[in-house]
Amino acid sequence: MSDQEHALSAPNKGKKVLPVGHYRGLGAWTVFFFVFLYLPIVVLVFYSFNANRTVMSWGGFGIEWYLKAFENDGIQKAVWNTLIVATVSTIFSTAIATIGALVLARGGNFRGKTISLGLITLPLMVPEIVTAVAVLIFFSAIGMNWGLGNVIIAHITFCIPFAFMPIRARLEGMDTSYEQAARDLYASEWETFRFVTAPLLMPGIVAGAMLAFVISMDDFIITLMVGGAGSTTLPVYIYSMIRRGLTPEINAVCTVLLFVSVAIVTAYWVVSKKSQTDTVH
Amino acid sequence: MITCNGGKMTTAIDIRGVTKTYNPGSNRPVKALDNVSLAINDNEFFTLLGPSGCGKTTLLRLIAGFEQVSGGEIMLFDDEIENLEPNQRPVNTVFQHYALFPHMTVAANVAFGLERLKKPRSEIEATVERVLTLVKMKHLGDRRPNQLSGGQQQRVALARALAPSPKVLLLDEPLSALDLKLRQAMREELKQLQKETGITFVFVTHDQEEALAMSDRIAVMSDGEVQQIGGPTDIYEHPVNRFVADFIGDTNFLDCEIVSIRDDLVTCRIGRENLFEVENTGGHTVGDQVTLFLRPEKISLSALDTKNGPDTRPGKVANIVYLGNQTAYTVDMGDGIELVAQARPREDGKLPFAFGEQVAVGFSTRALRMLAQ
Repeated sequence: MSDQEHALSAPNKGKKVLPVGHYRGLGAWTVFFFVFLYLPIVVLVFYSFNANRTVMSWGGFGIEWYLKAFENDGIQKAVWNTLIVATVSTIFSTAIATIGALVLARGGNFRGKTISLGLITLPLMVPEIVTAVAVLIFFSAIGMNWGLGNVIIAHITFCIPFAFMPIRARLEGMDTSYEQAARDLYASEWETFRFVTAPLLMPGIVAGAMLAFVISMDDFIITLMVGGAGSTTLPVYIYSMIRRGLTPEINAVCTVLLFVSVAIVTAYWVVSKKSQTDTVH
Repeated sequence: MITCNGGKMTTAIDIRGVTKTYNPGSNRPVKALDNVSLAINDNEFFTLLGPSGCGKTTLLRLIAGFEQVSGGEIMLFDDEIENLEPNQRPVNTVFQHYALFPHMTVAANVAFGLERLKKPRSEIEATVERVLTLVKMKHLGDRRPNQLSGGQQQRVALARALAPSPKVLLLDEPLSALDLKLRQAMREELKQLQKETGITFVFVTHDQEEALAMSDRIAVMSDGEVQQIGGPTDIYEHPVNRFVADFIGDTNFLDCEIVSIRDDLVTCRIGRENLFEVENTGGHTVGDQVTLFLRPEKISLSALDTKNGPDTRPGKVANIVYLGNQTAYTVDMGDGIELVAQARPREDGKLPFAFGEQVAVGFSTRALRMLAQ
């Protein structure tokens, strides 16, 4: 085992890597790249603390736009909707993704296995507007109008592949000998899942759920199409605010949304990092 | 060493004509086991030995229930088990890489099987303590597997498999992940453990030295078939075919023609003048092509001088491989015959013979064996 690992890592160790400073102008290019990437976001966050009424002229530091945003009934309702949609669709999509990953990684060989795998991950490549239009037409064709329920169902469908990927990666990297050992030690199939597979899979499930939550929380196009009156989520509400005119209130709401997203994605990285360093071969 | 039951040996596992084919019905079916039959006695240390891909691990997995037989029966004492689920078979496995549950403590790992068997809590605690003491790991019961060394993980894996008191313990190359010193120490301990517990051990390995050192009986396997079953000395001294002779230990093979047969001796010839006398095992006629084999440690080398006896023959040192406690000399005997002989080092540590030196090669008629074709 250790010999194999050594053999795998040996070529990289032996390779001589030139220091980054060797390339002239790379430093300046890197700085430009990061400025290009992050300056708009930094500006957005910066002006959210603007005491002035207009967005782009600085009138001193203040948090009144945050307070105003928190008091805004429309924003409160949108945040509430967003949390409901994200939570419910995360729970359902993660559950479905877990079952799918278990079947594909542990179900042995069956007809249509490769196609199933392709079909689960395909939505990642379908343009979102296509999914949005398709879902909208589908709901109106069957005459379904459950308000927030429609949004939740749409979110569940496109969150499944995002939840599926880390769960399947975890399962594929998990040696089947743990499950065999459990079966060997008189565990039924259900007990094997409950006491061995599920606990070992948990980092993957948590990572998948967090990814699904962020994707659902940030979604705009599908929600805009499917959500009727009363089922407005935060991204859709922010869009409608912009159409009514830019105020630092939008900056404040976006900043909060940004930090919630970053916090969840960071947690996702920590969890998947942990699952890599675990002793699961 | 073998349990007697009314004067008769009890059979723990009876493999009856077991066949295992992977991908049956596909265009590339792989036959891993071909009509294998063997009986493993109760209270025996039984080893399945063979090169990788010979089917030994497949056979072990069929006994454990991780794979389904394609044909044949597996009897565990008097019960037919080949169609039972793994958790319904009273056998336990020590896995090659141990497969200790990483999210549980050592004690929880060992208790796992007993808990699934719904044993009372007090009994589980007592058994866990007893088996952890048996493998000298009682003080580390609260640790997680990733806090243990390879040797310690090995002991926990043994304790976990022994805790439910299986009728048979299956061991899948459990020593292969350990370094040499530890491996040699664990051999002794495994053998000791088998005697203490009285449980039948079925041990899979590709290491012939391991097999010879530990086993009561060995089944040598190749290409999905059992080549020979016997005790370590049987296998080493009386291999039934060229594969077994070659796989177990180092061997010189001499392909020759029978030129004369007397009551008890057969004379074989290679080339024009190299004659070898071997014990007559019967069933041969003059002119037959046969293979003789000769173990390197049964050949003595001495300096070529006038005191050499009549049963030695001259040769020239063609290669020297220094191995520390002994040196392997390849001796050119003429007629294209090269014999490998082992010589112990002299007391002053110098090599007894030099490259190209003429030596006297001696071996007795009894050291030469004829292989069945």
